[in-house]
Amino acid sequence: MITLGHYLTLSAVLFAIGLFGVLTKRNVIAVLMSVEILLNAAAIAFAATAAYRDPLFFSGQLFALFIIVVAAAELSIGFAILLTLYRHAGSVSTDVIEEMRG
Amino acid sequence: MSLVAFAILAGLILAGALVVVFSSNIVRAAVALAFTFFLIAGLYFMLGSPMLAVVQFAVNAAAIPILTLFIIMMTRSRSVRPASGIFVLVALAVVIAFAGGLWAYLGAAETQVFPVSPEGIGLRLLSVTLFPFEVASVLLLLAMVGAIVLARRVEE
Repeated sequence: MITLGHYLTLSAVLFAIGLFGVLTKRNVIAVLMSVEILLNAAAIAFAATAAYRDPLFFSGQLFALFIIVVAAAELSIGFAILLTLYRHAGSVSTDVIEEMRG
Repeated sequence: MSLVAFAILAGLILAGALVVVFSSNIVRAAVALAFTFFLIAGLYFMLGSPMLAVVQFAVNAAAIPILTLFIIMMTRSRSVRPASGIFVLVALAVVIAFAGGLWAYLGAAETQVFPVSPEGIGLRLLSVTLFPFEVASVLLLLAMVGAIVLARRVEE
């Protein structure tokens, strides 16, 4: 039988993969894609916990829905900033974002 | 039976995520991201929530990869340079996340899934969580206006 633990383990491993991507990527588009993986891992954990432990209110599934909404908003703003950065610096690598380096 | 289905889905999801993170071709990474999100929708079906699965399919598996591919095209970035040198920190973070997963696996042994109908989610969404729902709609409107303002070409 599939237990809640299977889903939570999958979510944690997915989170670890996304975290690796966020911390090591140089291209901002790749960083944003890794952030999407992180958010989806969290949504899986919420939805699975609600499906197994919350039969009356299923609040975790509503949380997953709101995570999808906020992820879409975050991604559209992020890409707009990225486009401005590309026009300003001519590249989307994190190396070009150094105006505030101390 | 369902355990086999879960194992296949989980393996393909992790493989897709690994392609996203390790591929040096960013177009291939975006397509793998769409594939991964499509399979996560299947995971939501297995969790007894078809509504969440359909939203995941429409937003995360369809709209977001298309947006990503548009941005890749507009910024002319074809490849990703390999990782920088903070591997100790990264390895530590990944190990901590993995240990959390193992701890969760040992601590959660429920086997009964309670399916949720779309009607149930809709009624709950528009009664108890009505205020967050409205805030989310305002957030989407703000994101739309903000994206247009940020990406607008300023006339010199």
